[in-house]
Amino acid sequence: MKLQCALVSVLAASMCAGQGLTAKKAWTPLRTANGQPDLQGVWTNATITPLERPADLAAKPFFTPSEAAAYEKQVVENANVDRRRSDVTTDVGLAYNEAWWDRGTHVVKTLRTSLIVDPADGKLPALTPEGERRAAALAERRRLHPADGPEDRGLTERCILWPTAGPPMMPSVYNNNYQIFQGPEYVAIMVEMIHDVRIIPLDTRPHLPSGVRQWLGDSRGHWEGNTLVVDTTNFTDKTKFRGSSENLHLTERFTRTDPDTILYEYTVNDPATWTKPWTAQITMTKSASRVYEYACHEGNYGMMGILAGARAEETSSANAGAK
Amino acid sequence: MRSATRIGIVMGAALLAAAPVWAHHAFAAEFDGKKPVKLEGTVTKMEWINPHAWIHIDVKDADGKVTNWMVECGTPNTLLRRGVNKNSVTAGMAIVVDGYQAKDGSNRANGRDVTFPDGKKVFLGNTGTGAPGDAPEK
Repeated sequence: MKLQCALVSVLAASMCAGQGLTAKKAWTPLRTANGQPDLQGVWTNATITPLERPADLAAKPFFTPSEAAAYEKQVVENANVDRRRSDVTTDVGLAYNEAWWDRGTHVVKTLRTSLIVDPADGKLPALTPEGERRAAALAERRRLHPADGPEDRGLTERCILWPTAGPPMMPSVYNNNYQIFQGPEYVAIMVEMIHDVRIIPLDTRPHLPSGVRQWLGDSRGHWEGNTLVVDTTNFTDKTKFRGSSENLHLTERFTRTDPDTILYEYTVNDPATWTKPWTAQITMTKSASRVYEYACHEGNYGMMGILAGARAEETSSANAGAK
Repeated sequence: MRSATRIGIVMGAALLAAAPVWAHHAFAAEFDGKKPVKLEGTVTKMEWINPHAWIHIDVKDADGKVTNWMVECGTPNTLLRRGVNKNSVTAGMAIVVDGYQAKDGSNRANGRDVTFPDGKKVFLGNTGTGAPGDAPEK
């Protein structure tokens, strides 16, 4: 408890004081055989801290340790799906018993009340008119064509991408596990959710030509002191991180602040979607677990069930109309 | 205690914002809230597959007719971390599934609540039980 509080206060104090995001600590980072700061191993970013600061915590960017403990207790109890909900649509949506979920039970180690650290209010910036139009067009398309065919369903259900798997990497409902490997010229990040591996060259080669688009974008890394900085462009127009455009420019920063913690920060710059850039920060914790395969196509009976359900509803509506 | 009271009030709406998010796919698109089912049956097999595990059970009706049902559960990776493995749910086990039937009327349901006949949970464990993927205890 004392150790944790000490860590929290160091991280929080350094950020409160505006000293940047690298914790100022008397800790010498471990090094790999070739002298790079060592980020290797399995890490989890499971946390109950929300991306955006809830309205009633608007004036409170940080919890105290006791407030964090109270918040954690209440959120975990509230989220427990073993408690059945009276609204059946919600109840169906909660899917299955709590044992299958792994959302984490703690807030981030910085004790921030939102993952977003910039803007200072912890909220996403406003969408641009173009961003709003794009979001509305997508919503309208989904309303008109919810499940005509598999292509109408989201990337997650189609086992193509998970919106939290990254880049940027966000906490999700389970499979929040990552393994980082380092070589002299590359860093590789294996992501349990959807089990992609992102290969990040560390040399100075330019990004791919703008006509070449990839689901995970095109990442380039370099070291700034003890921080790995990864710059990613060349996303597809289907990747859409929280509604982003294909010109999303993402900058991630990985800093190991102690043996058990990586401070992970990302900045989203997409002037076609948001009125200004925004930055989020998550603490990743060293895990004794291993990363398991998440072979999403292995048994995706759910897609069949969703499409069959949509056809059954159409038949039912047609029969009702014919009467 | 003053701060504890204040945080209690402060967190009212915050908790609403922290409602669970959807799983790999929209269960409400696959299963029908108007078709709740309670299936008391015997496990024939459990498929430990991604993105969701499926339990198959034989359910006998009042006339003795046996129907096989498929029950959708969550990602097996999490269960494995909680110490549940392929020996935990085996053929012949009696279980009770309280869930919702597939919208197309086929014999598939979600495993909203899976218990043994005595009411105990088949999948024990909860977030915060110190599973390896969980953040370390403070």
